[in-house]
Amino acid sequence: MVGLVGGGGWRVGDDAAGGGGGGAVAAGAAAAAEAEHMRRLHSHAPGEHQCSSALVKHIKAPVHLVWSLVRSFDQPQRYKPFVSRCVVRGGDLEIGSVREVNVKTGLPATTSTERLELLDDDEHILSVKFVGGDHRLRNYSSIVTVHPESIDGRPGTLVIESFVVDVPDGNTKDETCYFVEAVIKCNLTSLAEVSERLAVQSPTSPLEQ
Amino acid sequence: MAEICCEVVAGSSSEGKGPECDTGSRAARRRRMEIRRLRVVAERGAEEETSGKRRRLDGGGGEASTDEEDREVERARYGFTSVCGRRRDMEDSVSACPGFLPGHHFFGVFDGHGCSHVATSCGQRMHEIVVDEAGAAAGSAGLDEEARWRGVMERSFARMDAEAVASSRGSVAPAPTCRCEMQLPKCDHVGSTAVVAVLGPRHVVVANCGDSRAVLCRGGAAIPLSCDHKPDRPDELERIHAAGGRVIFWDGARVFGMLAMSRAIGDSYLKPYVICDPEVRVMERKDGEDEFLILASDGLWDVVSNEVACNVVRACLRSSGRRERNRSSPTSNLSPRQSSSSGDEAPNDGAPSAAAGSESDEESAAEEDKACAEAAVLLTKLALARQTSDNVSVVVVNLRRRKL
Repeated sequence: MVGLVGGGGWRVGDDAAGGGGGGAVAAGAAAAAEAEHMRRLHSHAPGEHQCSSALVKHIKAPVHLVWSLVRSFDQPQRYKPFVSRCVVRGGDLEIGSVREVNVKTGLPATTSTERLELLDDDEHILSVKFVGGDHRLRNYSSIVTVHPESIDGRPGTLVIESFVVDVPDGNTKDETCYFVEAVIKCNLTSLAEVSERLAVQSPTSPLEQ
Repeated sequence: MAEICCEVVAGSSSEGKGPECDTGSRAARRRRMEIRRLRVVAERGAEEETSGKRRRLDGGGGEASTDEEDREVERARYGFTSVCGRRRDMEDSVSACPGFLPGHHFFGVFDGHGCSHVATSCGQRMHEIVVDEAGAAAGSAGLDEEARWRGVMERSFARMDAEAVASSRGSVAPAPTCRCEMQLPKCDHVGSTAVVAVLGPRHVVVANCGDSRAVLCRGGAAIPLSCDHKPDRPDELERIHAAGGRVIFWDGARVFGMLAMSRAIGDSYLKPYVICDPEVRVMERKDGEDEFLILASDGLWDVVSNEVACNVVRACLRSSGRRERNRSSPTSNLSPRQSSSSGDEAPNDGAPSAAAGSESDEESAAEEDKACAEAAVLLTKLALARQTSDNVSVVVVNLRRRKL
C-alpha cells in the first residue's frame, strides 16, 4: 500500500544520507532544508500526556497548485478523503473562523469542529486546531507548510505536516501517534494524487517557479 | 413462542421509552421519521416481490422443462427490508435474485461505508458475477460440490473487489446517487461488507466478507453460517500483523485505528491488511429441520442476538401458518403498540373458494412471501427500537419445503 506501508521515509528525519557522492550531497541538502523548515515553522512543545510528530511528502506539482488545495479551509474535501461535508460558521473566512466537518462513515468519528489559527499566503503556512467533535483528539493542533523544490528537474513541492495532541485515556502515546499519522498519510497521499492530476491537466512551463 | 415474540417486542418498546422520555418531542419526531422511512422502503420491497413473482411464473415452466436433475423446482419464499435508520445516509444494499441459476436462488446484504457506491455496485453485480463464475466452474467434474462452490465464491468476491476499484478510478462515472466529490480522482477509501447466500436443492452456500452475518434456524436452534471479520478476532489479528499492519483500539478494535472490520470489498487504501477473501461455508440442507435463513447487516446484529432474531422470525412464520388455516388478522400476534404503529393492515378477503386448488395454492405462496417480509420488517423495527446507530438491512428466506 502506497500510503500506509511503513518505512517509506514519511517521518521527518527518516531520510538517511547515503549512496554516492552526488546523491549524498543532494540528500544532505534536502535533509538540511527539511530540518531548517522544521526548526523554524514546526515547533510544538508537547506536554507530558501528549504526543507529537511530523510527516513529509514530496509532490510533483508546482507549489502554487498544492498550496491552493492546502489553504482551502472551507473545502478540505477537495483533497481529504475522509471528509464528506464541511461548513464554515459565519460569513467571512479569516483567522479564528470555525468549520464544522462531517466525517465519512466507517471511521471512529462523525464530526470535527476546527478553528483556523493561521493562514499565511506569503510563507505558505496553515495552522488548524480541533475545538470539538467526537474523534477523541483533544487539544489537537496541526501546522502544514509547503515549500518549492525541484524534482527530476521540474517544479515540485515539499509538504510538511506536524501535529501535537493529547493521548486519550486507554491508548498509549505510540498508538495515538500511529493513528494520527495514518490519517495524515492518507490525506497527503490524496493531496499528491489530486495535485499531480491537476498539474497534468494544466501544464506548467518547467521554467516557471 | 408467540408469547416470547410479544414479550421481546414489548420489552424493546419499554427500553426505547427511556431515551424518548428524556429527549421529548425530538426523539418522538425522529422515531416517526424512522417509521415513515421504514414504511416507504417496505412498500418498495413489496413491489420488487411482485415483479419477482412475475418472473418466477414466467421462468418456472422453462426451468422445469430444461432441468431434469431437480425433481422439482423449489420456488423462493423470501422477504427483505432495508432502512436508513438513525444514520444520516443510506449506504446499505440488498440483492434478491430468485432463480438466478437453474434451481438456485441468490440473496445478498451489502453494508457500505465511506459512501454508498461500492455497496450499490455489489447489489447490482455480485449475482451476475457468481452466475459467470458458476458457469465457468460447471466443467470441473473432478471437484465435489463444496470445493466447486468455494472456488466460485472466492473468484466472485475477487472480481467484485476489482470492479469496485476500477469503477472508482474514473473509467466509469459514479452512480447518480453517489455523493463522492468529483475532485477526488479515486475512491480508495470506500468499501462494503458482503454476505451472500446461494440456496440450491441440496445445499445452502454462504460466503461472507466483513461484519454482516448469515444465521440459519435449524430445529429451533440459531446456527451462525458466517463469523464476523473483526480486527481483534485472533486469526485476523495474526494475519494483519503478519502483513505488517496494526490494530488499534479506538472506539473498538480498528485496522490502523480506522476501519472496524478486517475484510471488505473495496477499501484499497488498507490493502493488504483489509482483504476481500470470503469465508465460504457449504451447508447440506436437512428437510424437516431447516426452518429459515436470515441475512442482515450489523445494524441488526449489534443490538439483536442470533437467538432473539430466530425467535421473532419463527413467531412470524408460524403466525402465517396459522393465518392460512383460519384467515385471522395478519398482525394478530403483535403487541397493541406495534399493531397501532404499523398502520397498514390489509383488509381480510372474503371466504376463500374451496374449489379453486391452484388459486388457493398461489394465495398460500403469496402469504408465505408476505410473512417473510413481515418478519424482516419486525426485526428492523426491533433494531430501531433498541437504538441501533446504523443502517439496517434484513433478508428472511423460508427454507421449509412445501409438501405437494
